[in-house]
Amino acid sequence: MSFDWSVVWDGRYLFLQGIEMTVFLTVATMALAIPGGLVLAFLRLAPWRPVNWAAASFVEFFRATPLVLQIYWAYYVLPVIADIRLSAVATALIGLVCNISAFNSETFRAGIKSIRQGQVNAALALGMSRLQAMREVVLPQATMRVLPSLASTWVSLFKDTSLVSVIAVADLSYVAFKMRADTYRILEVLTAMAVLYWLLGYPQAKLVDWIHRRFKVTE
Amino acid sequence: MTALFNVLWANWPFMAKALAMTLAVSFGSMLVGIVVGTFVAIGRTYGGRIADIVLGFYVDTMRAVPVLVILVWSYFALPLLAGRSLSPFVAAVGALGLHLAAYVAETVRAGLTSVRPGQMRAALALGMSRWQAIKQIILPQAMVRMLPPLGSLLVIAVKDSAISSVIAVPELIRQTQVLVSNTYLSFQLYSFTMIVFFVICYPVARGVDRAYRRLAHLGSS
Repeated sequence: MSFDWSVVWDGRYLFLQGIEMTVFLTVATMALAIPGGLVLAFLRLAPWRPVNWAAASFVEFFRATPLVLQIYWAYYVLPVIADIRLSAVATALIGLVCNISAFNSETFRAGIKSIRQGQVNAALALGMSRLQAMREVVLPQATMRVLPSLASTWVSLFKDTSLVSVIAVADLSYVAFKMRADTYRILEVLTAMAVLYWLLGYPQAKLVDWIHRRFKVTE
Repeated sequence: MTALFNVLWANWPFMAKALAMTLAVSFGSMLVGIVVGTFVAIGRTYGGRIADIVLGFYVDTMRAVPVLVILVWSYFALPLLAGRSLSPFVAAVGALGLHLAAYVAETVRAGLTSVRPGQMRAALALGMSRWQAIKQIILPQAMVRMLPPLGSLLVIAVKDSAISSVIAVPELIRQTQVLVSNTYLSFQLYSFTMIVFFVICYPVARGVDRAYRRLAHLGSS
């Protein structure tokens, strides 16, 4: 069997464009899903029952269904029921943001709840105001606890962006699938795609491990 | 609504088969993941430095590369190297299983190292072999502690089985697409499939939580 790796080199600019889209989707989704997750987390902790319930249903629903299906649903169903026409990229972004916001909200909720009430009481007893106690005692520890989970979510998000290729968003995987169809150099193109994903993802996975070690909370 | 019921009524054996395929891919990949993952974890924990580095590389690679990429590569590129083709089902169970195995391995390793090293030494001092000690002392305790993360991995296995639609495994999403292309009921059918997935995944997640609360005391040492 003969291999012809020149197709990979000839397609280097296409691969680069794909990587650009993958990185853009990852960064944009996380940038929107952090505020989204915070809002959901506060809604779940808010003192109104119907609001709690609505936020909880949203979170549970997006956590218990496959992301591919959410993307298909946003692509084929959203235009029909809401009568809005969005580009494939915007649709993909909506699907990803809803999904990751749901996961982030659980992370934030756990982070806020993990700080024992005694710490706030102690801060108040030391003469701090409620705001000071929140800012100086609770939030720094909560951030430290949330960071490792957020980092893990970041890496799964980076991997999950590949699923937007099912609605023809030109990310790294879609570009490779298209190049495979155009050139018939299946093994070369798919291997190049896998290697590129590895080169991008492996350092991130290692960084996450480091963050987990670095921010391990000991009270 | 009536249109959806008519379509489902006319096609229910078709959709039942699709559901069975989704469950087969999910449980198949979970089985592969648990078997491979457990051995990888044992190798990394007790196998010495070289095994730790090699298996660690495998785990980190699987954590770095998307499932879709592993799946598509195994189905389309691997047969060219190996010289024989794979059925979509085998490729899906293999690729999803090997991906999941990395996460199982991390979970099992955390469970194994959470059992105090004194217990291993005590077992060895009592004359057990290393393998006996792992099998009879360490694993049973670690298993209980690993139950909640393994439960969430089962939910992930069901959700990831949906990705096998990309290589035309006739599971729920693939067959929904077939029905949509015949009937144009995209809204109704995709929503129906969404609910089916929710009905499978949500009780699993909740059930694992509940089971764990009953069993948690067995894992304390």
